[in-house]
Amino acid sequence: MKKGLIIAIVAAAVLLGGFLWIKGTYNRMVTADEGVSAAWAQVENVYQRRADLIPNLVATVKGYAAHEATTLEEVTAARARATQVVVDPSDLEPEDIARFNKAQGELSSALGRLLMITENYPDLKANQNFRDLQAQLEGTENRIATERMKFNEAARSYNTLIRRFPDNIIASMFDFEKKGYFEAQEGAETAPKVEF
Amino acid sequence: MMKRISTIYRTVALMIIGAAFILEAAATPARPEPPRLVNDFAGLFSDRQTALLENELVAFDDTTSNQITVVTVKSLEGYDAAEYATRIGLEWQVGSEKFDNGVVMLVKPKTAFSDGEIFIAVGYGLEGAIPDAYAKRIIEEVIIPHFREGDYFEGVAAGCDVLMKLASGEISELREDDDEAGLIAGIVAISIICILVFVILLAHENGKGGGHGGNGGSGGRGVYTGPIIIGRPGGGSFGGGSSFGGGFGGFGGGSFGGGGAGGRW
Repeated sequence: MKKGLIIAIVAAAVLLGGFLWIKGTYNRMVTADEGVSAAWAQVENVYQRRADLIPNLVATVKGYAAHEATTLEEVTAARARATQVVVDPSDLEPEDIARFNKAQGELSSALGRLLMITENYPDLKANQNFRDLQAQLEGTENRIATERMKFNEAARSYNTLIRRFPDNIIASMFDFEKKGYFEAQEGAETAPKVEF
Repeated sequence: MMKRISTIYRTVALMIIGAAFILEAAATPARPEPPRLVNDFAGLFSDRQTALLENELVAFDDTTSNQITVVTVKSLEGYDAAEYATRIGLEWQVGSEKFDNGVVMLVKPKTAFSDGEIFIAVGYGLEGAIPDAYAKRIIEEVIIPHFREGDYFEGVAAGCDVLMKLASGEISELREDDDEAGLIAGIVAISIICILVFVILLAHENGKGGGHGGNGGSGGRGVYTGPIIIGRPGGGSFGGGSSFGGGFGGFGGGSFGGGGAGGRW
């Protein structure tokens, strides 16, 4: 009789402890997961901001350097390709991030080439509209760098959380999967440098 | 043999610790303690100029809650100026948590071997008031002309003036809780002083004729008279708070997303 009671109490305590552990860990993972998604939303925002600047930039450059058509077309095409890459913010698997990074990296290099040729057009460089666009573009590249850094930090702390023992048991139980990072890409990482 | 291995281990451990220190040193400067808004690590301003600028920026922080901090450094430690300024903003948490309304003006002076560089990093909340294109124009049209003449203070002060005008149009909130905290601190300080005075007076009453000058004799009372002498001028400065006693309340949790612009000369 007494023995049975003790066993019941111990079992209840173990169950309660187990429940609390699972609840705490699960909720922490959900919070971290949301943090990564939010950071990703910011990353997409700043890339979108860059994409929005490009038509204006292309139009302005065209006014002064119409015969640089190939470079201009390349930028427009790279922009179209980059905006087509859609990543599901609830997954963010390493391959998704790599795909996104590659498309945006190609746009970065096309932009870099465009800014390089503008060096040859002093009238364009003196144009206030162009200078403002350039400042905005530089600012956007800085924002991209910052948001990528923040995303990587969020993804890293999430990945650490789901891989640590014993919490990884709960992570695999509820299908929390590893998120990808932004890897530095050759050429893409350095913002197009504009010297005055 | 064992001894040799352990020496190797020790050397390796020391090297790792050394490398850690070097990495530590290469990071952005630590958040200033006590907090202040003008951080002239490169020594470009005179003491008077620093105090002048600090007062102006603290007053601006008090009246509008926008925090503009000026940081001058001798070297960017290999960072891009934009990244360095943004990191300072993020790590010091310039601006308030509610508005993210911080601005970091980073200046690296021109030397014989390198260009001068400046970057104005704008917190999330002020990106609307100070767009990148404006920041760029301020740098090129207001600040750099002074820098070219070697007048760092004039350039920074003129730049801060424009930034303040732009920022106050967006966010303008009195720092009420800080004022309250200051008031409470003042009341507490005055009460402590009153109590101390009371205690001293009582002690004098009881210890009849201890002598005003010869307080070296009675140890316990000597200890009491010390703080009171230091305490009085301190109390006085609470009264005339606006000049210096107000002070900077500290950075408040603002965040940065890489906004702003830079320039070199």
